[in-house]
Amino acid sequence: MGKISAPRNNREFIDACVKSGDAVRIQQEVDWDNEAGAIVRRVCELGEAAPFMENIKDYPGFSYFGAPLSTYRRMAIALGMDPASTLPQIGAEYLKRTNSEPIAPIVIDKRDAPCKENILLGDDVDLCKLPVPLVHDGDGGRYVGTWHGVITKHPVRGDVNWGMYRQMMWDGRTMSGAVFPFSDLGKTLTDYYLPRGEGCPFATAIGLSPLAAMAACAPSPIPEPELCGMLSGEPVRLVKCETNDLEVPADAEIIIEGMILPDYKVEEGPFGEYTGYRTSPRDFRVTFRVDAITYRNNATMTISNMGVPQDEGQLLRSFSLGLELEKLLKSQGIPVTGVYMHPRSTHHMMIVGVKPTYAGIAMQIAQLAFGSKLGPWFHMVMVVDDQTDIFNWDEVYHAFCTRCNPERGIHVFKNTTGTALYPHATPHDRKYSIGSQVLFDCLWPVDWDKTNDVPTLVSFKNVYPKDIQERVTNNWADYGFRGAKK
Amino acid sequence: MANKWEVFVMDLGELAEGKELELTIRTLNDGLHKYTYQRAKVEVSSKLDQFADSLQVRLGRGQLSDRRFSIRVIERVERMPARYL
Ligand SMILES: Cc1cc2nc3c(=O)[nH]c(=O)nc-3n(C[C@H](O)[C@H](O)[C@H](O)COP(=O)(O)O)c2cc1C
Ligand SMILES: [Mn+2]
Repeated sequence: MGKISAPRNNREFIDACVKSGDAVRIQQEVDWDNEAGAIVRRVCELGEAAPFMENIKDYPGFSYFGAPLSTYRRMAIALGMDPASTLPQIGAEYLKRTNSEPIAPIVIDKRDAPCKENILLGDDVDLCKLPVPLVHDGDGGRYVGTWHGVITKHPVRGDVNWGMYRQMMWDGRTMSGAVFPFSDLGKTLTDYYLPRGEGCPFATAIGLSPLAAMAACAPSPIPEPELCGMLSGEPVRLVKCETNDLEVPADAEIIIEGMILPDYKVEEGPFGEYTGYRTSPRDFRVTFRVDAITYRNNATMTISNMGVPQDEGQLLRSFSLGLELEKLLKSQGIPVTGVYMHPRSTHHMMIVGVKPTYAGIAMQIAQLAFGSKLGPWFHMVMVVDDQTDIFNWDEVYHAFCTRCNPERGIHVFKNTTGTALYPHATPHDRKYSIGSQVLFDCLWPVDWDKTNDVPTLVSFKNVYPKDIQERVTNNWADYGFRGAKK
Repeated sequence: MANKWEVFVMDLGELAEGKELELTIRTLNDGLHKYTYQRAKVEVSSKLDQFADSLQVRLGRGQLSDRRFSIRVIERVERMPARYL
């Protein structure tokens, strides 16, 4: 594999984005109370450059970097690729890197760790010393963690987890967050800490390198420190926490250390979510007590503003959920030609292309998809044949509307796993993470006679002989056509 | 100076008047601690001049209610077990 030269930390990433015109430096003062959030939201809705806000009201010395990965251009920059790379190229690179050998992290000395430049302990600990933004007006609180990683370790198995689980500031020393029971952290809590009534040490890292953030929200079975190493082609630099035994990315901008309380909860939410709504109710959720805060000089807080498309939650999660499903299906020997989620489906619909070589292949795909670790995050699987371009929604939509038989092609899966965030779910189902899912099988049935029963696609490419196609294409301008107005 | 507070409720009926209530309220006073929460025993009134402090209300999904109240914070309540403080 060629040498990867991806930005190694958030600062290098911002520099690279500013250079390519994919970030703007905002020097005028921005208010942490709604204004910064509104800027990031508008950036997402317009597909603008990422805002690097260098002057935050009440918080001299701190800055914000908003919408870090809400475009494919910034995703390509994060991976060290040409910003103009196409989505299939970026996807192929992700698959190549994440199918390579895991790269273990290294632990460095505290003196070399930028995140230790400032250390707050004891009575000095106060989350309000950080420029925690009010991201959307009407949110249940200021959110500390919107683009970050929550670091924990399974005490018996020893595996380390970095997960992006939102965290709200309840007071200066307390946060609460939505850690779903089917997430890696949720399972560690229910498997070990909650039954024993023991506190679970955690560290929240904010202002991660873009690939560390990508690892924290990727649904990969590979532990995130190794996954991040594979994505960046070099070991992640870690450093030990001040108040517990966890190790955190040394180049992160801000680290918050503490303990998840096993037997006490405070309210969390509501919050603007990736579906484009505030759906999940305010509730008593997983509660984090803070023991220490460390941060770099002139620390930059990363902000994602979730709402209607498109933000990095939708972009990146669609990307990695789709590619992880592709890996899973291929590992089972299914002849898939690709998997794609449109970010504007808010990662709710998997589009799978497959060579329909045997009966029930769409059902097999749906069962694997819904039955996997990825399953709770989407509720629709649409299976099309290998002749349909999965990236071209016009083609997929045409296939869906014409080939999906209402009686034989639509299969509903009941009593599956859902999340509190599904706008279409009942309040009861949201509360208990109860889901339902659906397969749209857009393949021609294998028991139809291929010559006499399967309809012929009537398109320029499909019905005319090659020589006619060439003649017509070559003469196009001579006929007088000047290119259709879109 | 009078303080500004905010509370989230599912139903305005949770804000009964003329008796002591225990609520999770957040401060809207300007400054670094704006929007931080505390648990408190309070009394609320729809008469805006009844108490010195003011209270605004948000509903289930963050919608601002047009009902306004005045509020008296009687005392802070610490729910968190002492071993975590
Ligand atoms: C911006 C953002 C916010 C997220 N917030 C949450 C959350 O609050 N709770 C949750 O369980 N997952 C959340 N996720 C999804 C997880 O990050 C995702 O499932 C990730 O793969 C963690 O996986 P793991 O639990 O398998 O380690 C969020 C993702 C993004 C991009
Ligand atoms: Mn994980």
